[in-house]
Amino acid sequence: MSVINVNGINKSFGDTDAVKDVSFEVTKGRIFGLLGPNGAGKTTAIRMINHILIPDSGTITINGQPASPATQRLIGYMPEERGLYKKMKVGEQLVYLARLKGLSKAEAKEAIAHWLDRFEARDWLQKKVGELSKGMSQKIQFIATIAHDPDIYIFDEPFSGLDPINSEMLKEVVLELRDKGKTILFSTHRMEQVEQMCDEICLFNQGRKVLSGNLRDIKQSFGKNTILIEFEGDPAFIDDLENVRVNNRSTNFAEIRVLDGQDTQSILKKAMDYAQIYKFERIEPSLQEIFISTVGEDNINKKEL
Amino acid sequence: MSFRQIKLVLQREYMTKIRSKAFILATILIPLGFVAFIGVVTGLTLWDTEPVVKIAIADQTEQLYPRLQKIDSTRYINAANLSEDSLRKKVTAEEINGYIFFTDEHINAAKNPELLYGGSGGIGLLSSIENDLEDVIRDERLEQAEVTDEVKQIYGSSVDLDSRKLTKAGEETEDNTGFLSGIGFAMGFIIVMSLFGYGGLLTRSVIEEKTNRIVEVIASSVKPIELLIGKMAGIGALAITQITFWILAFFGISAAAAPVVGMLVDPAEVTGASEVASGVDPAMFQIPSIDPMIFVYFIIFFILGYSMYSTFFAAIGSAVDSETDTQQFMFPVMAPIFIAYFILFRTIESPDSSLSVVGSLIPLFSPIIMTTRIAITDVPFWQIGLSIVLMILTFIGAMWLAAKIYKVGILSYGQSANYKELWKWIKQG
Repeated sequence: MSVINVNGINKSFGDTDAVKDVSFEVTKGRIFGLLGPNGAGKTTAIRMINHILIPDSGTITINGQPASPATQRLIGYMPEERGLYKKMKVGEQLVYLARLKGLSKAEAKEAIAHWLDRFEARDWLQKKVGELSKGMSQKIQFIATIAHDPDIYIFDEPFSGLDPINSEMLKEVVLELRDKGKTILFSTHRMEQVEQMCDEICLFNQGRKVLSGNLRDIKQSFGKNTILIEFEGDPAFIDDLENVRVNNRSTNFAEIRVLDGQDTQSILKKAMDYAQIYKFERIEPSLQEIFISTVGEDNINKKEL
Repeated sequence: MSFRQIKLVLQREYMTKIRSKAFILATILIPLGFVAFIGVVTGLTLWDTEPVVKIAIADQTEQLYPRLQKIDSTRYINAANLSEDSLRKKVTAEEINGYIFFTDEHINAAKNPELLYGGSGGIGLLSSIENDLEDVIRDERLEQAEVTDEVKQIYGSSVDLDSRKLTKAGEETEDNTGFLSGIGFAMGFIIVMSLFGYGGLLTRSVIEEKTNRIVEVIASSVKPIELLIGKMAGIGALAITQITFWILAFFGISAAAAPVVGMLVDPAEVTGASEVASGVDPAMFQIPSIDPMIFVYFIIFFILGYSMYSTFFAAIGSAVDSETDTQQFMFPVMAPIFIAYFILFRTIESPDSSLSVVGSLIPLFSPIIMTTRIAITDVPFWQIGLSIVLMILTFIGAMWLAAKIYKVGILSYGQSANYKELWKWIKQG
């Protein structure tokens, strides 16, 4: 059953087409990743799903209802540009935000007490947000997003700016929410995070959807034509390989995508002439590789990736 | 639009601001500052003294100098024995400031006396000398014409105008035009200051949500128009609270202070001092004839004025990224307030002049000028009604524009918009 249904949406600002004819579905109880370089239109799409922006054309339905103030309440949204009122007390602020999402004052207080306990932050209730450390206010931001217990969670670039502890905590919370049957959509431009968490993905580039579907299926469809190699010695041989694309390269490690179906054994032979091989493995391509081979190297702004 | 959401935004805006230290301090300090300001200005005026000016009088008639000496014996000194050359030298050596030669022609042939002086002293000096000369020469001419004392008295008399007002109902009432002009000016002035003060507060509040980056979280729960209306109303409510507090405190303190001050200070002195500085005098509270409708209209016009201008101030806040960038947009918003403020001076002199009437009907000027006119004169009801209708229409139009700018502006981070972008946003919406 699809919880979020995006159907042929377009949005342009002046002459720039931010989102062009994008359609995808998010299934209930799944973690859905919206991927793509910065400026690909992810945030615009997310804002439209949140009914902050209205698409120029196309439709968005949430649980079968068209996006509206009513559907906003079904969603917990943590934007990429996030923040809180610095001069307001944590407790009042969280109650205010939860009430804006439709909770009564009593319900809001109860939910907030629960989450503050969960994050061992009960003592912060009377503190002003400006007095909290960055990590602490990030926790408050999570609580603000999830306190009204929505069915759908949308995180825009959730890991950017998070400290490692909160990053881990967010992952835990996200997985826990999924296990409770909630639906999570998040966007990121860092592909490796998606590999660890997402069930389904949608790849964006320059305002268009370039690929979408189940992450496992997508990877399998690309076949095991990538080599993971660990070695010691002169890495120059990698530059001599033809018809390959090298990702994730370092002094003693490389991920090599074989492009024309050539025999991987010949690559191994060549490598053995130059270096001592510790590990040689055929794997499925990484998402980064899938993204590059889908949109074509020339269509990517390298700096943004 | 959801009133529940607007109410939540309004409550937050109002409650967080009213409890803030800055607000409480401002509520207490602004009146104190005002009183201190009046005190300083009064003090400076009292402390200020005219410099000693010495004017040598070479009087061949021997009639004029004694009369001048009677008026001011330090300013006018006798120089009957001195030649013009030595007087000139004294002026250049700055021993005296100037000199005047009098001959019989000045008395008999209506020739203008001439002052030769170093050039300093200003208009004030020249006109005071002119007044003195006018008096002494007139008196001397009367003397030489050998008129009776009766005629002299007639020349010396002055007339004051007493006035009483005849109301439409045919009752004669005391005329307080002077006092009401003071009230009218104070009201106009308060509205000018409040538009700036509360408008600026709203701009900062909008910018704060942008720079804190909370606005997108809010926008995922509340429509921009609901947020805008809630914030405008919240600060409006704050304004009314603060002004009401000040008015009550003012009346309370005056009521309590008047008898105390009366016991301590000579009443004439008190009246004089405060009239100079502020047009407010303690005796005003004894005058019973202020129509309470004046205050009702003041509140109505304040609310309408705030509503119109706050749309602009909110739109500015949404369009910029930091407070320092507001300058370029503030000018066009401040211009009508300043123009109205200048018209206000004319209105106090002549509240029914065509400039005052037209000015009071132009929506962006109405809150300032119409309030003042209502206080001073009997404004026909159709004018009041028309100005209210025009202000409401202007408010609707301004709100419509501001909502479009606000909707796009609050989500544009990173840099402040320029006029071209604003226009694009308006067209987009």
